[in-house]
Amino acid sequence: MWSSHPEIAFAPYLRGELDAEETRHLRAHLESCARCREGLTAAEAVMHELARRVERLPEPDWTAYQAQLRRKLNARRDAARVSRWRPEWAWASLATAAVATAAMVLMFTLGGGPRPPGVDQLEVEAGLADADIGLLRDYPVVEHLDLLENYDVIENLDQLTPPGPPHVESRPS
Amino acid sequence: MVPSDEDLCARIAERDAQAFDLIVERHQARAYRLACSILGNEADARDVSQEAFIRLYEAAHSFDRRARFSTWFYRILVNLCIDHQRRNRWWRKFVPLTGPDDDPDAPQIDPPSSDPGPLDEALRRQSVERLNGALGRLSPHQRTAILLQVQQGFTSKEIAAVLNCSDNTARVHLHRAIIQLRKVLKDE
Repeated sequence: MWSSHPEIAFAPYLRGELDAEETRHLRAHLESCARCREGLTAAEAVMHELARRVERLPEPDWTAYQAQLRRKLNARRDAARVSRWRPEWAWASLATAAVATAAMVLMFTLGGGPRPPGVDQLEVEAGLADADIGLLRDYPVVEHLDLLENYDVIENLDQLTPPGPPHVESRPS
Repeated sequence: MVPSDEDLCARIAERDAQAFDLIVERHQARAYRLACSILGNEADARDVSQEAFIRLYEAAHSFDRRARFSTWFYRILVNLCIDHQRRNRWWRKFVPLTGPDDDPDAPQIDPPSSDPGPLDEALRRQSVERLNGALGRLSPHQRTAILLQVQQGFTSKEIAAVLNCSDNTARVHLHRAIIQLRKVLKDE
């Protein structure tokens, strides 16, 4: 158990910490060793004196102590709250803004974005087509435009027969 | 039924302010005395012991309920004391230790008895100074080991848990502390 003098067991022995075998062994050694008996008595005296002096240590006003502790704790929590926001929230905000900007730039550069009103070429072309179709509705007039070139016809328009049932041309016999 | 320290610690982890106040009331005197004995300075002892309670509040969620609360908490306190000593070692050589009268934030000192006379007060001060002188000659681990045993009633195993060493090493620290103190007290 112990090779020579069991001095390191004195303090645990005085506090009753040793198990039964260690206690029996130590007691057997003490019976035969005057040096260890003296050492054990001295250790007991030192521990007793130390305990007596420690008890006489001054104590602070505990109400003031607790109030000061509460102030320190609140200050620490406030500081922790601020320091938590700075690195995480600020960087997250910056990253979000950067991603949003990049997405907008991509949309415009790749042509996926909206066009300004009034410059849509397709709409203009569709309008022109509609105008052509309107003209085609009056196709008979268009078909006979060449008649307008015959001045004589225009000059004698009042002699033309009004519109009526289909005219059957009769050949003179 | 009185809640155990371990129960209170679990409530502190859920930010129960009442549980925190209760645990401070329970341990403030012992924590302050231990810090005062290790550091040898009342103002530092107040600051460091308060810091230990703040660390307890912040780390309560990490407390393993299989361990003893006192071992866990005094480990925090002892580490803070040793760190504080290491940080301040170099300027302590040049700047004298300040008493409570020099510190505007220091709470007033309660007298040990109801009506101490000037002689009692002088003897008490002298006794404290001698204790600090004797403890000052020990290594931080020896000092902590002997104070944990005498003040807190810790076993060798608990001292070993606080100092993060083996049971046998804790016993060696205790033995060496006793040898040193025996020499100093014999010379008085």
